[in-house]
Amino acid sequence: MICPNCNSNISDKRKRCDRCGVDLTIYKKILHASNQYYNHGLERAKVRDLSGAIIALRNSLQLNKYNTHARNLLGLIYFEMGETVAALSEWVISKHFQPDNNDAEEYINRVQSSPTKLENQNQAIKRYNTALNYARQQSDDLAIIQLKKVLSLNPHFIRAYHLLALLYMKNGENDKARKTLLKASKIDVTNNTTLRYMKELEIPVAAKDIDSGMETEKSATSSIMPISSYKEDKPNIMAFVNLVVGVIIGIAVTAFLVVPSIKKRQNMNENSDYVDYSSGLALQEEKDRTIEELQKNNNELQEKIDELQTQIDSMMDVEDDTLVYDPLFDAVQYYMSEMEKTNKNDRDLMGIAEKLAAVDESKLESEVSTALLNRLREEVYPTAAQQHYDRGHDMYSDAQYEDALVEFEKSMTYDPTDVDPVYFTARAYHRLGDNEKASLYYNLVLSDYPDSKRVKNAKEFLKQVSDSNE
Amino acid sequence: MINFDEELEKFQPSPEIEQAEDVINNNDLTDISDILKELLKEKIGN
Repeated sequence: MICPNCNSNISDKRKRCDRCGVDLTIYKKILHASNQYYNHGLERAKVRDLSGAIIALRNSLQLNKYNTHARNLLGLIYFEMGETVAALSEWVISKHFQPDNNDAEEYINRVQSSPTKLENQNQAIKRYNTALNYARQQSDDLAIIQLKKVLSLNPHFIRAYHLLALLYMKNGENDKARKTLLKASKIDVTNNTTLRYMKELEIPVAAKDIDSGMETEKSATSSIMPISSYKEDKPNIMAFVNLVVGVIIGIAVTAFLVVPSIKKRQNMNENSDYVDYSSGLALQEEKDRTIEELQKNNNELQEKIDELQTQIDSMMDVEDDTLVYDPLFDAVQYYMSEMEKTNKNDRDLMGIAEKLAAVDESKLESEVSTALLNRLREEVYPTAAQQHYDRGHDMYSDAQYEDALVEFEKSMTYDPTDVDPVYFTARAYHRLGDNEKASLYYNLVLSDYPDSKRVKNAKEFLKQVSDSNE
Repeated sequence: MINFDEELEKFQPSPEIEQAEDVINNNDLTDISDILKELLKEKIGN
């Protein structure tokens, strides 16, 4: 114990201070009374009579401000009622009076260690103040909205419950007011404001007490398992009956659900097998058909091949046909042998021309052969034609008209462009008295060689022939 | 019957956490012991 006068430590049993001598009897009584109020406050707090606990604890602190336990408990009660600032102030003051070995330090640390929670509570206070202003401005709806938010942030804020209930009651929403007040009464069962409002709403306080009592009893005994009285087990026929019923149900389920599905599955398998077999058969038939068609095509193609082969075989390889190429080779050979003669006059060009004329040009397949033939003809024919004409003219001059005709004919063959053999052929026939042929050749001269020098004579002789025929 | 306006007047704004310092400083921490001391001082003084 500390002497209130000189602040010295003295024994609790001493009635006077050893140091200053002041009488401590009254001081001790005051301390005792403070502790008693603290005990009352603690009892009330245990049964959630927070308002009663606050009164007792305040009395305790009014007697002894150094009563740390009372102050800490008061802070706890304020915190439980949502009065965070009041709680913190009590704990801070408690720590000020007793810095060491003080639970208030732990309480302060717990509050400050959760900044989010602290901020929520601060927000709740601010919104409560805002809601109070709205209510004073008759903006009840806005106030109610704010108060709902407050209670969501701090569900222990009793004054917010009170204000909200008041506003509900003002707006005639008594049911909501009742619910709000019941929530508030769970926190502080003897709160004067809560009880007054509940009385206004005619909520039976006694019934509410009983309810709360029952609730507390229920909560106290909820942890205890109820034990029923002992009963002997009777022989349970129902179990056997249940078993039989269960078996029957099982059989029924099997019969109506399982067996049909199994049968269905079997049928499906059989059907699938049938389908597989059928499809296999169909496939086989199609293969056979395909084979048959291919065989037919093959036969047709083979026939065509044979036909073509026959054609090929029937086609004479003209290259190998001696009747076509031998005269050419013979003519070429003869030409080459004649060309070897150094004296041109000794060369038998007429013989070469005759051999060349014997070659059937139309049967030559090779372009080279044809070109060779034409080349040789171009080279040989003009000279041979002239030679035959000259010989024929000599014979004509010797009145060997028939021999001359042969020569003239060869000349015309080798050189159809020369008018002279044609003209002298006509003359020879004229001399021989064959006027018809003479006329023919005269007309030939006139028609095919109109610009030649023989035209004039041919006209005259043709006229003579015509006159002689008349 | 509750008079809402009167009831509303009873509601006071709650101090915010920022105002806790002011609340603590304005807290009257006088107890009976202090009063007794004052009485004794006055008595001795007289």
